Amino acid sequence: MVIGIDLGTTNSALAFGEEDAVQPFPVEQVVQPGEVRAEELLPSFVYLPGPKDFAEGATALPWDENPKYIVGTLARRRGAETLGRLVSSAKSWLSYAGIDRNEAFLPVHAPDGVPKISPVEASRAYLEHLNEAWQQAGNAPLAEHSVVLTVPASFDVVARQLTERAAHEAGLKNVVLLEEPQAAFYSWLAKHPDWREIVGPGNRILIIDIGGGTTDFTLIDVKDQSGTLGLERVAVGDHILLGGDNMDLALARHLEAGLAAKNTKLDAQQLQALWQQCRAAKEALLDPSANWTEQSVTILGRGSSLVGGTIKTKLTRAEVEEILVEGFFPSCSFTEEPQRVRRSALQELALPYASDARITAHLAHFVKSGGAAPTHVLFNGGVLRAGLVRERILATLNSWLPQPLTVLDGEDLMLAVARGAAYYGFARQGKGIRIRGGVPRTYYVGIEDAMPAVPGMPPPMKALTIVPFGMEEGAAHQFPGRKFGLYVGEPVEFRIFSSTERRGDEAGALLDPMPRDLHELPAMEMTLAPTPKSPGGLVPVTLESHVTATGVLELYCVAASGDRWKLEFSVRERKS
Amino acid sequence: MSRISLAFSSFFGLLFGGQLPDSVITALGLSRRAGRPDTKAPAATAAPKVDVSDGALQLLALLQRDARLLDFLMEDVSPYSDEQVGAAVRNIHESSRATLQRYLSLQPVIDGVEGAVTQLSAAGVLKNDPGAIKLLGNVPADGNVKAGTLRHKGWKVEKIELPALPPKANLKILAPAEIEVE
Repeated sequence: MVIGIDLGTTNSALAFGEEDAVQPFPVEQVVQPGEVRAEELLPSFVYLPGPKDFAEGATALPWDENPKYIVGTLARRRGAETLGRLVSSAKSWLSYAGIDRNEAFLPVHAPDGVPKISPVEASRAYLEHLNEAWQQAGNAPLAEHSVVLTVPASFDVVARQLTERAAHEAGLKNVVLLEEPQAAFYSWLAKHPDWREIVGPGNRILIIDIGGGTTDFTLIDVKDQSGTLGLERVAVGDHILLGGDNMDLALARHLEAGLAAKNTKLDAQQLQALWQQCRAAKEALLDPSANWTEQSVTILGRGSSLVGGTIKTKLTRAEVEEILVEGFFPSCSFTEEPQRVRRSALQELALPYASDARITAHLAHFVKSGGAAPTHVLFNGGVLRAGLVRERILATLNSWLPQPLTVLDGEDLMLAVARGAAYYGFARQGKGIRIRGGVPRTYYVGIEDAMPAVPGMPPPMKALTIVPFGMEEGAAHQFPGRKFGLYVGEPVEFRIFSSTERRGDEAGALLDPMPRDLHELPAMEMTLAPTPKSPGGLVPVTLESHVTATGVLELYCVAASGDRWKLEFSVRERKS
Repeated sequence: MSRISLAFSSFFGLLFGGQLPDSVITALGLSRRAGRPDTKAPAATAAPKVDVSDGALQLLALLQRDARLLDFLMEDVSPYSDEQVGAAVRNIHESSRATLQRYLSLQPVIDGVEGAVTQLSAAGVLKNDPGAIKLLGNVPADGNVKAGTLRHKGWKVEKIELPALPPKANLKILAPAEIEVE
């Protein structure tokens, strides 16, 4: 038995199976006060209930009479009415390096006195709920199964480690992380046993995954490996916080503005209803097989004056095309680059949403940085259920590329990731082809130039490549040429940088000066603990990088005596 | 006590409390029969029992919660245009239907074509149940009918799956009052 879990920004899902038959697991959850039902998706929301929010027993689960947090459908529903107690998008916070992700700061706008939780704790709550629901259905605990947990390809090493920690705290033991676009591709492979006849050597598959909150790109190459076909993930995109929720919100704001012009004001709950209706209207209008030109959007009156207070408006196909297709997917030239707007330093705590909403511009940047042109495309994610959006992306891509792309037909775009994760579990057991890929980034350690200090100027930095792009599971690299003198008992800090785009830097390559486009991660720190061979004083050490069998990146300081010390990412995040 | 306030106190006291209020009894110089308060006491402390009307109240509450059906039925819609009513109804209809389908499994009593000649036996085990089949028109004196024109297929509930009620639920509350704190 293999289990795949899609821990999504807005919805999570679990799929399980034996060999060829992977199926979704309906997750029991409280859907309304006092009502527990099994649903295919577990909305990734936590509601922190106040003392007067629910009647006694109304939030009871079959496995917990009085849960501390409410997770799932009821959390989303109730949270829309009381936003200050709702934790959402925990996953996006998990990948945000601008804040200590172990700190309990969610919900950001909670009233004083509400006990907040950290993004790691929220992720733990979703996984724990899945674990409990799974056992409630008569299964052995998830700790006894091997579990494949999906993360965005753009998650850096810290976000991956935090996800693993949340999983362990939720009681999962054998956890392997898999990139979501790869999971979608595994799902496609499982549906197409004849895939070797659909793609061939030299083909390059572009995977576009647009979820509720994030957009993720990946390139997979089909290679001839001594007579058999191999698959290799050759590039992943940067983390783009832009997804379907932004699009529905854009439509809702448009209609709200139209109503405001007619002096109709909406309250928070009506806005929520408007948002939901816009989502449904959008899907209907963007379905190319249905020829709707408009969809009516009705918001019932608040209070008991229902008919009298009903607000009626409509969303036309032209508006959806204008706002969504032109706003998020405009045709753009291949030379286009996403705009990066400098943000004000005085900004309240908020997620670093993409400053350029044009997904096509992000795509142009990714395809350019990926080298050779893709030959196939696979779509995944709820947004891409809209045929018109798929058509627009395809037309734009084809205008850039020498050969038109072949579309690989996906399946259920909502559940493909969880299913694909379970199929990957079988592939790991040797029962299917595995996509090779390794670490999807290049990592560097920053080295300060030994130069006389100049007042007011930071010392120039060099970058030593410690993990080359694509470093595979089980591999290790040593750097004997570069020694660091560390004092026993004193804390040291290494500055760590990464890049998704510099794929050619070999292990040990020194970049001098350090390129500007590297992303800085939280520093790695440790204190050289005394050992029998190194009881004190100055110890010359070299660095060693290592990727474990489950794909976890580790760094060690190694002394000539053979002593080794493991470096850990700092919990204090570096403010850049 | 004035005559009017006496009359109102008596009326509402009887309507909601089932007895005359103490103030009225004192004002009119009456006395209660002994034992009456005692008969009420055990009823109040008895364990809540499941009443057949519980399901009806719960279903009403569900239809209000998911589809706001009570708000709609209790509102005076006469001042509003057909268009305004229609806009709201589409919404309420869709959600009411979804709620009914979620909690009840509804089937026709006779799954036939309305207007077509139909055998009573099409109703299966219900074929002899006057509550399930209503005979109209020229029904013979002995009431023995084998077939006729199906005018309405009827409705029956195959299955009810209402959510379990929390032990302390007050079913008389069909929808809570909502107070928003600014």
